[in-house]
Amino acid sequence: MKGIIHSLRAAIRYRDYKPMSLTWLAAKRWVMQFDKGDRRLAQRLLDKVIYISESRTREILVQQNAALMNRLVAAGLKPKQFIYVSVHDTGSSSHVMLNLLRDAAGLERMGCKFLDAHDSMRLIKTMNELGEGALIYVDDFLGTGNQFCGERDSVARVMVGAFSEFILAPSICEEAIYEIGKRGVEAFTGHVHSKVERPLHANSPLFVRTEKDRMELICKGINKGGPLGYKGLATMVVLYRNAPNTVPAVLRGSQNQTPFKGIFPRTTDLPVQKIT
Amino acid sequence: MPSLNPTQPTVPQLIPAGLLLQLSIDEVKPSSNNPRHLFDPDQLDELKKNIAEHGVLVPIVVYQAKGQSKFSILDGERRFRCVRDLVSEGRTGKNGEPLKLPANVVEPPTKIAGLLYMFNIHNYREGWELMPTALSLKIVMEDLGTEDNKALSKLTGLSDPQIERCKKLLRFPERFQELSLDPDPRTRVPSNFWIEALPVIDLALETSETIKAIGRDRATEKLVDKYRGKKIKSVIHFRRIMESYEINEDDPQTRARVLRRVEEFFLNPSLETRDGFDEFVMDKKRVLSALAACDEFLAELQRFRLTYTSNDEERNSLRIALRRVQTYCESLWNALEGKDDPEVPQDQP
Repeated sequence: MKGIIHSLRAAIRYRDYKPMSLTWLAAKRWVMQFDKGDRRLAQRLLDKVIYISESRTREILVQQNAALMNRLVAAGLKPKQFIYVSVHDTGSSSHVMLNLLRDAAGLERMGCKFLDAHDSMRLIKTMNELGEGALIYVDDFLGTGNQFCGERDSVARVMVGAFSEFILAPSICEEAIYEIGKRGVEAFTGHVHSKVERPLHANSPLFVRTEKDRMELICKGINKGGPLGYKGLATMVVLYRNAPNTVPAVLRGSQNQTPFKGIFPRTTDLPVQKIT
Repeated sequence: MPSLNPTQPTVPQLIPAGLLLQLSIDEVKPSSNNPRHLFDPDQLDELKKNIAEHGVLVPIVVYQAKGQSKFSILDGERRFRCVRDLVSEGRTGKNGEPLKLPANVVEPPTKIAGLLYMFNIHNYREGWELMPTALSLKIVMEDLGTEDNKALSKLTGLSDPQIERCKKLLRFPERFQELSLDPDPRTRVPSNFWIEALPVIDLALETSETIKAIGRDRATEKLVDKYRGKKIKSVIHFRRIMESYEINEDDPQTRARVLRRVEEFFLNPSLETRDGFDEFVMDKKRVLSALAACDEFLAELQRFRLTYTSNDEERNSLRIALRRVQTYCESLWNALEGKDDPEVPQDQP
């Protein structure tokens, strides 16, 4: 009975996860893949997921953006001097986040500018034209921060004029906060994801050593190369649009979801639909 | 269920310009323009030792971009880096207090001042940043209403040949300029490509009716395709084409063959630069003769013992003649400059 209630609760909490529809039956099936002695541990791990739904994502972005805008306007800048920058490849989460924010906060009507980090020509032209302003990078989640910093550094190479720099994201890991801080980019986020919040992270007190070891062993069975996610970050934040690649393998499941089915498979983990 | 804790940085206190502050490393934002090519590691080490012993004696110059908590560096990136390294090594001040950076706070630079500052940084840089420099030079030229090299050189600190190179880049349409701004060095077309290709394009348009008919942009595209197809293995190889043309000035038949080959070079995607033009320039005698002439010229001048020439008229004549030699040598020196972008992967010749 307890198991059914747990699965029902998971299905309600994570109902708008986009890559895969999460029914209570799917949640139950996920738990049942574990050995009987591990199921409670798996449920406890699932309870520690920090899920950010679409409405919450929108809410965070709008709130944080309003706080940032107030600060910039108080400093003497006008919205037309705000350049919102999407990072990574076209169609990535960053672009989706920026579109969401743009529409929800009516940024276009305020005269804000929107650019892609890869469009150096327009960046140079816009910065040259404005002379001063703010560069606001938008993304969904920062893990190590390395990928974001690489993109930001390529923008910095062509930066002209006096521009302050900010990153707006629903959630950022403490590791990334440190990395971006070194570059002087300030973060406006709904959640700083600390190591303490990640049960499988070495620095977290949420699981005892034997529990961590057991779960890591299961993760290794699913993904030998990155059992605890990229760089072993073992993060627990899942966004409605996709799980970051830094979550433990038990949450994502095997590649193509065989043999182990994840509860939060990334879009790239799902089997490719055959075109007939 | 774990809850979210929204976090925002504290609102920055507005610091009036003209203050001298003692800043901690965390309060300073490194220069946005990646300065990794800027500093000689030995000199940096020397400065670090000096700072470890005496502290920072000359304040750095910083400004606070609107809305930003941290101070951006206008001058003093090297001192900042040294102090940052010392702090990360656990070094403290003489009385055990954290190491600080004295900093003069100034107003954020205006658009033009910011551009001029960027030029000063770019003066020490190499490679692909020439295109952003050229685009910014365009803004300076438009804003100040001058295209005069001397005036621009005085303002920006760029040398006359650098300005000329920028102007060459600005002759290409934006869609080509964009190719040199690609952040990925594997797909980026180096700025030098355009500079070296320009005389070849001009020559082809001037001498070939077929190339004239396809037009400048299409002809340029063909060269870009060739470069991407590894048929131009080094941008310096464009010089072989011009060299082939120039050295056969007195041989109309060979020159006509060179021009036919130039046309073929544009139209045949598989014709490689060296395969196409080495036969016209393989003669190394010219350069060897020139090297010998340089040695001979110097030896002759030294033999004449001219340092103590006392006759005014003779001294003036000599100085005029030497100036002519100097001007020619400088222009030749500048013309021989140029290399492949070290960041762009090249095939070995």
